[in-house]
Amino acid sequence: MVRKMKTALTLVALTFAFGLQVSVYAQDSMKHEDKTKTLETGTFHGKVHKTSGRATIYQEADGKLVLRLTNFKTSNGPDVHVILIAAKDADDDANFLNSSTERVELGSLKGNEGDQNYEIPSDTDLSKFQAVSIYCERFNANFGAAPLEKF
Amino acid sequence: MNTRVGSWVSHRKWILAVVVLPVLAAAWWAFRPEKLWINQKVNEPAPFASSADPQPLYTGRLQGKAHQTSGRGTIYKTSDGKEYLRLMDFMTSNGPDVHVVLAQSDDANLTQEIVKGQFDSVELGPLKGNQGDQNYDLPASVDLQKYNAAVIYCERFHAVFGVARLEQF
Repeated sequence: MVRKMKTALTLVALTFAFGLQVSVYAQDSMKHEDKTKTLETGTFHGKVHKTSGRATIYQEADGKLVLRLTNFKTSNGPDVHVILIAAKDADDDANFLNSSTERVELGSLKGNEGDQNYEIPSDTDLSKFQAVSIYCERFNANFGAAPLEKF
Repeated sequence: MNTRVGSWVSHRKWILAVVVLPVLAAAWWAFRPEKLWINQKVNEPAPFASSADPQPLYTGRLQGKAHQTSGRGTIYKTSDGKEYLRLMDFMTSNGPDVHVVLAQSDDANLTQEIVKGQFDSVELGPLKGNQGDQNYDLPASVDLQKYNAAVIYCERFHAVFGVARLEQF
């Protein structure tokens, strides 16, 4: 009986030592008042038209959504737009004309280099539109795309 | 004789003007070849007005190695120049003697679950919790170009729990 209890106690002790790992939850706050929230971010890829930089979606205090491009660089071209696409990502030079990919127009590309902001329509479903594309309307060409992930 | 040659030349000029020039103009409009050399640079400020807030410098998603690990690691710089690593939506398994370290993302050790041999890392402190948002101060002199990966590392068993390769924000 005593032996059985000893075995049981040893088993319990071993369970505590190895198996049972209690979760420890930490909750440090941001080191400032977070008025503008960072929702999603991702980096651009594009080979045919070399595209690089980062795309980030912010939500301002009043709920407005803004797409910001930073360290951004692509090739200059005719009729280039910034769009959100209802896909996880886009291939290099993917042709959108032949596909039925839904998109949200954010406006003409302001510059092929540098930091820039684009307003996103407030009713845009970001869980559906998961990637940014730099898109040439005239030739239906994808210059570069950035898949967005939760920040 | 002379006049005939002259009229033939002007006829060709006329064809050139009517046919070739519009074609050239259309091609120019479509392709805008001069844009290959002309860059259009913009520099808009961030949507958040205050630059007194900490600015994100590098960020990356955590990927699990020896244990399932997820979330995001971001390095912020405060207005007084201090840098810290913040883990967000963070989750890993609890374990003994787990630390947060910076390492070189191309270190071969990080491709394995268990580190064998030399592991060049910068200690940020013991892991505060295996879940939740948490901040770790960086040593003032750390070279973030070199140490460009955040690693959740079990010192006791040399196990790499998870790695976040940090890319410029």
